[in-house]
Amino acid sequence: MLSLTLSGNCSLLPRPNNRRCALFFARTKRTTLVTSALTRETVAISQDAMADSRSLSFPILVNGVTGKMGKAVAEAAVSAGLQLVPVSFSSLDKPARTLEISNIEISVHGPSEREEILSSVTEKYPDVVLVDYTVPNAVNANAELYCKFGVPFVMGTTGGDRPLLYKTVQDSNVYSVISPQMGKQVVAFLAAMEIMAEQFPGAFSGYKLEVMESHQATKLDTSGTAKAVIACFQKLGAIFDMNEIEMIRDPKEQIKMVGVPEEYLSGHAYHVYNLTSPDETVSFEFQHNVGGRSIYAEGSIDAAIFLHKKVQSKAEKKIYDMIDVLREGNMR
Amino acid sequence: MISLLQQHSIVASRHAQAYTRPEKPCMYRTRRRGAVARAVVTENIEKSSKIIGSSTAPFPILVNGCTGKMGRSVAESIISSGLTLVPVSFSGKEKPGGNITIGDVDVTIHGSKERETVLSSVINQFPDVMVVDYMVPDAVNANAELYCKLGLPFVMGTTGGDRELLYKTVKSSDVYAVISPQMGKQVVAFLAAMDIMAKQFPGAFSGYHLEVLESHQASKLDASGTAKSVVSSFQKLGVSYDMRRIRKIRDTTKQLQMVGVPEEYLGSHAFHFYCLTSPDDSVSFEFQHNVCGHKMYAEGTVDAAIFLYKKVQQKANKRLYDMIDVLREGNMR
Repeated sequence: MLSLTLSGNCSLLPRPNNRRCALFFARTKRTTLVTSALTRETVAISQDAMADSRSLSFPILVNGVTGKMGKAVAEAAVSAGLQLVPVSFSSLDKPARTLEISNIEISVHGPSEREEILSSVTEKYPDVVLVDYTVPNAVNANAELYCKFGVPFVMGTTGGDRPLLYKTVQDSNVYSVISPQMGKQVVAFLAAMEIMAEQFPGAFSGYKLEVMESHQATKLDTSGTAKAVIACFQKLGAIFDMNEIEMIRDPKEQIKMVGVPEEYLSGHAYHVYNLTSPDETVSFEFQHNVGGRSIYAEGSIDAAIFLHKKVQSKAEKKIYDMIDVLREGNMR
Repeated sequence: MISLLQQHSIVASRHAQAYTRPEKPCMYRTRRRGAVARAVVTENIEKSSKIIGSSTAPFPILVNGCTGKMGRSVAESIISSGLTLVPVSFSGKEKPGGNITIGDVDVTIHGSKERETVLSSVINQFPDVMVVDYMVPDAVNANAELYCKLGLPFVMGTTGGDRELLYKTVKSSDVYAVISPQMGKQVVAFLAAMDIMAKQFPGAFSGYHLEVLESHQASKLDASGTAKSVVSSFQKLGVSYDMRRIRKIRDTTKQLQMVGVPEEYLGSHAFHFYCLTSPDDSVSFEFQHNVCGHKMYAEGTVDAAIFLYKKVQQKANKRLYDMIDVLREGNMR
């Protein structure tokens, strides 16, 4: 198990800014590069040791290591002690590349070689689980390929023709986890809100809702997650118009007002929801703030470990989502 | 309307922003409007709640403990929701305590010795009367026995006493009752949601780091039971945490400056903050529930009373209820 005291240890470091005397949470300023490198190393070692001792290791192939998400998942797989298959695919015809991920050399193959390579991978690694982070346009063709070879897969790529995706998988009897939201803990939070809304409709009648969300400047549309949470609050009786969502896309505001660390400006998802009673004597606030990709990478690994379990136990059910992964409990 | 609380709220920045004093906007907060605007809002709310109240059949409620802060608050909520406040109450003292005025109702306070006679005659005059109890822990069991003896449906808002005996008394009598130590309906909803999340998704937050802070009036010596309840849900979610780490803020200066409690509520508030951070610090979840004064509990109590009245009218099979039942029923008004 990942050491739970890491964050606690970090809070003992002297905080760089003395003006923050009124800060009431003894929460860590983000650790310096050195410290975080140290902790990552410690984490990797402890996780490797644990993985060895529990032999939870199985082969995992990441389709799309050339992309940012794919790379993050591959690194997370190695940290988790899984066996990263040194092969991946690209949409370019002649990629002729090798990529190094966590000291492993991955050879990247073009579309014309996909079938041949995948076939030999399944021969060499019969219990391989595949994780897909490619592009929307490739979703359906890739799913067909995996189903053709009976490879269990985690579909992290969003978009494509979703009904067709489910149909392809259902017809083939292949095991898969399909989830557009791989941030496991965000899914848990959203599910909790949905359950609350369903069980206690109108509990917050008359309460006023305020919502603010911040994402990287390139994200033009409003957060889908925010809309889903708002729908729950509306069911709970809160007063809100979807147009009232405050979207922050200006990097300066994101740094100063929202508090997004600079390194995450290009990839973050911060949300805050505030409910206030009609007479203003009561307020509730919920925040979920994600920086970078780590949560999605870790969630994908959890999904892969979950799927491997299901395949090994020859479970009846074949198609799963993140709620199933959550219900199974702690993966590691 | 911008919340009065928001402009005082804490900068819970996990990236250690400079503390911003209440006048300046903190993370996600907007400026506070003037006192005039607030007064207008309060007036509008009172008007609208009267309109809402008229859709509920105005059944009579007797508040046992009108002289106490909670009892008085509930009595006021009863009136503003359009229900009928029975102009009679009891004091803890043996001799009668005269009269008090709540809203435009003149309430006669009787001594505890006269409870049975007075209650019997109230039932004669108002056959569908219900009691809301906000007395003292020591009186809980004796009062419950009396209500059961007279077949009076009641909402038990008073905490403490012998709870096992209380439930036993009610169960063996067939009387309708709502018993809940926490009358803040929305807080109960939040607690239930955390509990459901923990039961459905055990270990989902494994490895996450938790920080908890709570602030109550200085006279509250013990740690918040609500906070402990939420922490125990987080523990099921895989978070490692020792209850003794809950930070209790009882110093009024800190409450004003750090926590952001409005001055008028220093003597009566319940602010809670929970922050979950991922092992690598890249993800954080934060939950807050901040209550000022008694209004929330009063409103929750009225909801419980309306709920109970419905059950009595329907001659429901089930007799004993809690706040979760009230929540499941949906919006009362």
